[in-house]
Amino acid sequence: MTLTLDSLDALQGEPDWLGERRRGALATYERLPMPSKTDEEWRRTDISGLNPAQFSELEHKNGFKLDALSSLPRGVILEPLRVAAEKHPQLVEPLLFSLIKADRDRFSALHAAFFTGGTFLYVPDGVEIVEPIIGQHTSHGGGTALLPHTLIVAGRGARFHYLDEYIGRDDEPAAYRSGSAEIFVGEGAEVGYVAVQKWGRNAWHFADQRARLEKDARLRLFNVTLGARFSKTRVEASLVGQGSDAELKAIYFASGEQFFDFHTLQDHQVGNTRSDLLFKGALQDTARTVYAGLIRIEKGAARSDAYQANRNLVLSDHAKATSIPMLEIDNNDVRCTHGATVGPVDPQSMFYLQSRGIPAATAKRMIVQGFFGDVLDRIPFEHARSLIEADLEARLG
Amino acid sequence: MATVPKQIDVGSDYKEKYGFFVPEDYIFKAKRGLNPEIVKEISWMKKEPEWMLKFRLRSLEIFRKKPMPNWGADLSVIDFENIFYYLKASDKQSTTWEDLPPDIKKTYDRLGVPEAERKFLAGVSAQYESEVVYHSLHEDLSKKGVIFTDTDSALRDHPELFKEYFGTVIPPADNKFSALNSAVWSGGSFIYVPKGVRVDIPLQAYFRINAENMGQFERTLIICDEGSFVHYIEGCTAPIYTTDSLHSAVVEIIVKKNARCRYTTIQNWSTNVFNLVTKRALAYGDATMEWVDGNLGSQITMKYPSVYLMEPGAKGDVLSVAFAGKGQHQDAGGKMIHVAPNTTSTITSKSISKGGGRTSYRGHIKMYPGANNSKSFVKCDALLLDDESRSDTYPYNDVDAENVTLGHEATVSKVSDEQLFYLMSRGITRSEAETMIVNGFIEPFTKELPLEYAVELNRLIQLEMEGSVG
Repeated sequence: MTLTLDSLDALQGEPDWLGERRRGALATYERLPMPSKTDEEWRRTDISGLNPAQFSELEHKNGFKLDALSSLPRGVILEPLRVAAEKHPQLVEPLLFSLIKADRDRFSALHAAFFTGGTFLYVPDGVEIVEPIIGQHTSHGGGTALLPHTLIVAGRGARFHYLDEYIGRDDEPAAYRSGSAEIFVGEGAEVGYVAVQKWGRNAWHFADQRARLEKDARLRLFNVTLGARFSKTRVEASLVGQGSDAELKAIYFASGEQFFDFHTLQDHQVGNTRSDLLFKGALQDTARTVYAGLIRIEKGAARSDAYQANRNLVLSDHAKATSIPMLEIDNNDVRCTHGATVGPVDPQSMFYLQSRGIPAATAKRMIVQGFFGDVLDRIPFEHARSLIEADLEARLG
Repeated sequence: MATVPKQIDVGSDYKEKYGFFVPEDYIFKAKRGLNPEIVKEISWMKKEPEWMLKFRLRSLEIFRKKPMPNWGADLSVIDFENIFYYLKASDKQSTTWEDLPPDIKKTYDRLGVPEAERKFLAGVSAQYESEVVYHSLHEDLSKKGVIFTDTDSALRDHPELFKEYFGTVIPPADNKFSALNSAVWSGGSFIYVPKGVRVDIPLQAYFRINAENMGQFERTLIICDEGSFVHYIEGCTAPIYTTDSLHSAVVEIIVKKNARCRYTTIQNWSTNVFNLVTKRALAYGDATMEWVDGNLGSQITMKYPSVYLMEPGAKGDVLSVAFAGKGQHQDAGGKMIHVAPNTTSTITSKSISKGGGRTSYRGHIKMYPGANNSKSFVKCDALLLDDESRSDTYPYNDVDAENVTLGHEATVSKVSDEQLFYLMSRGITRSEAETMIVNGFIEPFTKELPLEYAVELNRLIQLEMEGSVG
């Protein structure tokens, strides 16, 4: 069995426009070739062992677990995305897949055709939600496709935090997973978005995250990537309004035979915009990671300030890290800086700690925790932080 | 007091200094276009051995099969059938300027070559179109066994040495333009420095394109035997025609144990030349290879000098400066391929864009498994002088080795307002201040050049700068 038009029949009760879109995306999926090693984006990313269509059983057809708050402020909409498509088409239809286009590549098309779980969160103008909203996506077994999609719309001056958590068990058989998010940050709004990816170790994970920031909007977007055997994440922010500010940060820890790929874009379309990207990763065993990021400053985007850094801490002799931080600058009145490092644990730090009686293993763990500390401390969720810390402890022994 | 630079009109100066051309008077000019007959004709003209003809024809096949690169600058405008692949201007090679045909002599006189040779060079080679027309080497160096000749003569006079190394660093199939060069190569420098010999003053080659739609495909091969040292400098100029010329060189360098080689390029082609060059060096145990690469001219340059660090202790250095003015795209950078443990490399790139020009840094650091305990550091700084210009940075960093340290840093900025304000508050005009800042920006590069070149480069930058302001 494969994912085909018939599989779409399983998704009953959707409005016509959505069914139409899904069929369009499926046609795109069937038309597009698999990316090959001659595509620059996929040169270092091996998908030869994957046939996404073999994972034909869709999970989460009826939504997922939302950590519902006791009371949401008036006007806030928080629904499973498929429910929202039915109940609030005027909000969902124009925005869904408008930032993440289905025809970008085969995996984007597959996701657009078969997305199941996921949230729609709409926060009206001026509304602030103090407590964080958490969407948990838990897989129930291997061999399936689980493709959540999150759509977030922040009205003018809205303020809130949202967490997507992707959870699976390491002993589940191979599975196909995605976890994409489209985030519209309205004028003066402040949004914190965190994605924690902890799928099981046999999963294939493809995620597209894209945000659009209006005037004076502020976005803090964090990725924590720990799970899956193969994880490819695109993180893209379009700064379309003056005074907007995007902070894109990530920590990742690849161990065993894990492969992680990150492609990022800081797209400064107008002036007086700011972006700050920091991706920090640790690699252990025979893990491999690829980071490729681009800062693009468009012609009229004067007085933009962009920063991009990728730091890799290589903990074993057989791990491999690739880092490609790129700049395309079309305006002279800007400040752009980027940097990349790949290196082992600093022997001097190890020596310092050990000379104070700390055993080598503990010293190494402290150094890794310290390495992640500056990103970790900025994640606006205590819950997410403790989750990550537990994972780090488990890996570093 | 700072000396006040004189205002000079840029365009007319390049024309006067380098942009002149002498009437075409060739003893042999191959037909336009590229086919096996042309290749055979070139080989026949040169009375080459059979193996070289075969090598050329095989390379032509490879060139045909390889697609154009789909990255970097837009090369679709190159019409390979409209190019003259071989031009011979003189039927003999000279070792004194007086013996050169008057046209050619005039060319090099105007470029100031004889004067430079007298002053500070150990040897000079001058290539006019396809053939080297002049070369000389200090007598004491030839006594020590240093060979400095053109590559065609080397094939004839040093066949064993030649065959041992030719095409081993950059095989024809390396890329489309190395295949093209391998098919139609002509001229270039051949240098052999024997064990332990140090050539303390630089050797220099001048490359000159004179004819319209000319393709220049020189081939340079440098072998630094164990413990030796050489500094080789090349300079490139061409007249300004309305249609394009193509320069596609291949430079292969072998730096053996404990040897050091420095290769300096001041590329100042006129802005109708496509400059697509493959340069690569192999550095063996504790050897040092340094590329000092200045790109000022040409319409499009794609050039990434590379060092393969083959044995422990090898060291590679690239120091690159690019200046892109109106209509120019400098796609330059460097590659460091770490194959052996305990190898180190640095790349420093400085680029300046103005008047709608575009500079791109493109680099690759690769640490193969086994290149343990190696270090690499890349620093790229770009200066954008106006809001029409563009700068890109594309650094590829692949680490597959143990315990290595790799760092990359880049900044892009405009001329800082604070610096301008400081200088202008001391009575320096804006354009002078900008020129001073730009010269300061590229100082790490100029200070690596022999004095005469540093002065010349500063003057060129000054001219380029003056074109933009006021």
